[in-house]
Amino acid sequence: MSAVSAIPTDDAGRPLFELPDELAIDTDVARRVIAGFIRGQLRQAGFERCVLGLSGGVDSGLVAYLVAEAIGPDRLLCVLMPYRTSSPASRADAEAIVADLGCRSEVVEISAMVDAMYGRDADPGAGGAADLEASALRRGNYMARTRMAVLYDRSVTFGGLVAGTGNKTESLIGYTTLFGDNACAFNPIGDLYKSQVRQLAAAIGVPRAVIAKAPTADLWPDQTDEAEGGFSYPLLDRILYWRIDRRRSLDEMVTMGFERALVERVERMVAVSEFKRQVPPIAKLGPRTAGVDYLYPRRRPGSARG
Amino acid sequence: MTRIALAQIAPRLGALDDNLARHRELVAEARSGGADLVVFPELGLTGYLLQDLAAEVAMRLDDPRLAALAGDTDGLSAIVSFVEESDDHRLFIAAALLEDGEVRHVHRKLFLPTYGLFDERRFFAAGDVLRATPSRLGAGLGIAVCEDFWHLGVAPLLALDGAQILVNVSSSPGRDLAATNEVGLGTASSWRNLMRTYAQLTTSFVVFCNRVGVDESITFWGGSEVIGPSGQAIFSAPLFDEGLFHVDVGLEEVRRERISLPLLRDERLEWQLRELGRIVLERAGMAIDSTAEWGAPPGFDVAPEPVPDADAPAPAPAAPIPFRKPRS
Repeated sequence: MSAVSAIPTDDAGRPLFELPDELAIDTDVARRVIAGFIRGQLRQAGFERCVLGLSGGVDSGLVAYLVAEAIGPDRLLCVLMPYRTSSPASRADAEAIVADLGCRSEVVEISAMVDAMYGRDADPGAGGAADLEASALRRGNYMARTRMAVLYDRSVTFGGLVAGTGNKTESLIGYTTLFGDNACAFNPIGDLYKSQVRQLAAAIGVPRAVIAKAPTADLWPDQTDEAEGGFSYPLLDRILYWRIDRRRSLDEMVTMGFERALVERVERMVAVSEFKRQVPPIAKLGPRTAGVDYLYPRRRPGSARG
Repeated sequence: MTRIALAQIAPRLGALDDNLARHRELVAEARSGGADLVVFPELGLTGYLLQDLAAEVAMRLDDPRLAALAGDTDGLSAIVSFVEESDDHRLFIAAALLEDGEVRHVHRKLFLPTYGLFDERRFFAAGDVLRATPSRLGAGLGIAVCEDFWHLGVAPLLALDGAQILVNVSSSPGRDLAATNEVGLGTASSWRNLMRTYAQLTTSFVVFCNRVGVDESITFWGGSEVIGPSGQAIFSAPLFDEGLFHVDVGLEEVRRERISLPLLRDERLEWQLRELGRIVLERAGMAIDSTAEWGAPPGFDVAPEPVPDADAPAPAPAAPIPFRKPRS
């Protein structure tokens, strides 16, 4: 073991991505732990298959490779769920991943489902005429939740658990849709920063084009995470790593060379999105309350399906 | 030659009967492999992340299921771990030495980590007793559980109490992947340092049995080891793989090492006892901290430097710092 893989380069010899030194992981150990984790989650739940939403981006791409490595591609269903404005390039990348893995796949266009809510052109949908003007944010959230609904439906028909595809960076800054893209049965990459996702993706063989392209939620044309957030992922990852994993104070961060205003802004994003990372609180009334003083493992004898 | 079998297993969480059956199979397998001692990991009979299941899988020491497992140890030593319920209904993380059909010794985990990803003190009571125990191996055994070895007193105390083989049974969660080191896992690297250091400083064998498998979010990393009394690893099991690993050791190595490196002989226990007695009283506030500077805060030997205030019109004469009164 003990492999910190070299960063692959593009045709011009430039590194495909930037990997801050302190974030480099042993990718062999990571693959080993994650494969065992995936198999453990399935076994404990009484499942043998997995379903995931494949966008064509590096996060869901990596999870597809990890699941295929853990249980075999024939037990993985990748669902492609484009909206009519989604980037055709994303879909092509997703199809390339499916072809490379030899896993099962299905395309479920969500355009009709989303348009049924907000309407299309001048025809109002279920939300009424006012919703024709719904903001991009509302539409984006609705698309994410629509995709979640499709995945949980296919979870039944395919008989597989829904694997989460969100990374640690987006979870910590709250760049997720509650009960949308963050909804899953388990998440194999939720403790990996974006830079680490890229490192692991390169090691496991995700196509270089997928690793190199600008991350995007693809909720509207030409959207990119970094343009929307005003940060670069390697810098954001480093701030989160030192502040959270290594418990450095704001002043220590500034001494290390980070810009105070940026660190403060990241801290606000983390604090504001705390609710997205936790189970909703239940009003404590009875003698034993789930999550408060009724504390059982999610999976225990008798909890596996069938 | 003594043959030690390390049962690096992945227990099923809360499935006592399944785990018990697996233990009995492995005891039989170790026996047919010629083992004198077979070691199972912490909470191997129950799984680790039990939470409120702990009470439901607890066994009293007279539990017939434990007796059945002990019944498999005719002519053999086995160390197994489970949730022990005492007569007064406290739950302990216990490791028991089973030999010749009997429960010969029980160690109750002394240190229950309740920080970071651990929450043991919420669900378990801490043991109060640490004793080395004789064994049919012809050597003293010192049994400890996981976190016990992260407290400096435990390993030397076992060795001084007569153990030549220190056994640590663990459910150590793997974490800190970002550390790039010889095994690619921060936890494993720390433990490997500990084991070698304890073996060398106590001039004893150290047997480490750590589980594998997954409970909820947590992956246990295995990497069970046998370290010789000179601090050299005799055997290192693979990380993450389940298996029963047989390791041959020569217990005469303890004699050789303790004669050439007589650290235990040279221990100064009466001196340690005297100074520890002093420190206990001082930390409890029952005696003045005799090693601290005048004005030092409780638990800290150095008095704070006065902070110069540039805006102050004139330095006030230093007020006498009151001598810290012992708490009553």
